[in-house]
Amino acid sequence: MAFADYIRDKRETLRSRDRRYSLRQVAQRIGVEPAYLSKIERGDFAPPSEEKIRLLAQELGEDTDLLLAMAGKVSKDLQEVIRARPQLVAELLRQVKDLPDDAVQHLVREVRDGDW
Amino acid sequence: MLTLHSDTLHFAFPEVHKKAQCSVKFSRTLRVPDDQRHYLVPPSLTPIAPNRVDDYVECLPKDWRRRGGVFLPLYQAEALSLSFSGDYPFAIKIGAGKINTITGEPWQNELSPERQDYLVSGRNRFHDGFVVGQQEVRQFVAMPLGEGYTAEEQLTGLAQHGGLQILAYPMKVEAFRTRFGAWADSDDEYRSLDINLCRPGKARTENAEMGLAPGGLVKQKTLRDPYGYDAWDQTRWERCFIHLLNSRQYHAVTGVKLPYPPPGVRDYKNWRLPWYHHYSEGEPVEGTGILAKLASVATWFKAKHGQPLPDNDPPGPVAIRPVQSRSIRSG
Repeated sequence: MAFADYIRDKRETLRSRDRRYSLRQVAQRIGVEPAYLSKIERGDFAPPSEEKIRLLAQELGEDTDLLLAMAGKVSKDLQEVIRARPQLVAELLRQVKDLPDDAVQHLVREVRDGDW
Repeated sequence: MLTLHSDTLHFAFPEVHKKAQCSVKFSRTLRVPDDQRHYLVPPSLTPIAPNRVDDYVECLPKDWRRRGGVFLPLYQAEALSLSFSGDYPFAIKIGAGKINTITGEPWQNELSPERQDYLVSGRNRFHDGFVVGQQEVRQFVAMPLGEGYTAEEQLTGLAQHGGLQILAYPMKVEAFRTRFGAWADSDDEYRSLDINLCRPGKARTENAEMGLAPGGLVKQKTLRDPYGYDAWDQTRWERCFIHLLNSRQYHAVTGVKLPYPPPGVRDYKNWRLPWYHHYSEGEPVEGTGILAKLASVATWFKAKHGQPLPDNDPPGPVAIRPVQSRSIRSG
């Protein structure tokens, strides 16, 4: 599902239970004009900045990385990770590309044994 | 490979055998009265989900970062129970403040050929405390480091390590196949668990360490190794330092509050929770006497404060549920 449809669905679902999730109020809380948010939700405008997506994720109770990925963006912290070791990280990502989710989770949840 | 799966530490040695996996859970449990009487095993409450030190590296003491591993939240004076599961036998060494909880000797990675200083998973499903006699342990009770209560401080005079240490050796694959026959290489798969990622908080904490002190007496056997010292593959091992973080600081570090304060004897009675009488066949290890000489939390508290330990009343009559220890099937 595209970013625009996804956030509109999420916000509308929340609004059906709580009026504070109206377009106007959500726009106000994340610091944008309601018309701008409306155009983003309709797909007329491109997704907003990383900072606004973070605020939107927080507001809608969604995962920031998921929304950023749907918006075609890579968060600043991940960009730093890639910039620090570009070849190694690129190689790692290519290697895990076809792994099933549980295998990737195994990889990222390994516990480090240190010096004791 | 050592991984964290929601509320479970998972040791796996796929290079040894596909079934060479063992899970360790940590549960909050009732601190039994520390009054020199022997109590049955109280039922454990929900497992505590460990957090990886590396996920909160900016918020934790430097020493914790150096040691790696995971951390667990506990309330002060709360009791901790360990449980083990998995079909493949492991020799598991456990330390509290780097004091071996079976022998009372200083921590060593190696298994001792002279005296059993490890427990065997499958044969032993639970480990609730310091082994002080053939059929008794003194409960693991979380206390702040530096106040003299912990086994480490009582035995070494130093509040240096704290926490809990676990090291696992898998059984040699030849020994496994010999003892477990066709089942050893059958296609029974070990069930994997869901993963729950946590979000780091912002607060930074220092001097938050807790250690394990000997609490009340619980009837629990630590069974002898039926396979023998040579059955264990001592060329392969994984270990983990489990730091213990005070519940208040845990909230500051992770932003997560523990769901409820430690329940007392009265709560257990109100909830009508049964206490367990474990029947397990097999000879227990005897303990070395080193741990039996430790002062319990109540003794130490009275010496220090001149008054009895609070919330230490006996439970009165309780419901008892007999439990037969599950043993690993031999083929």
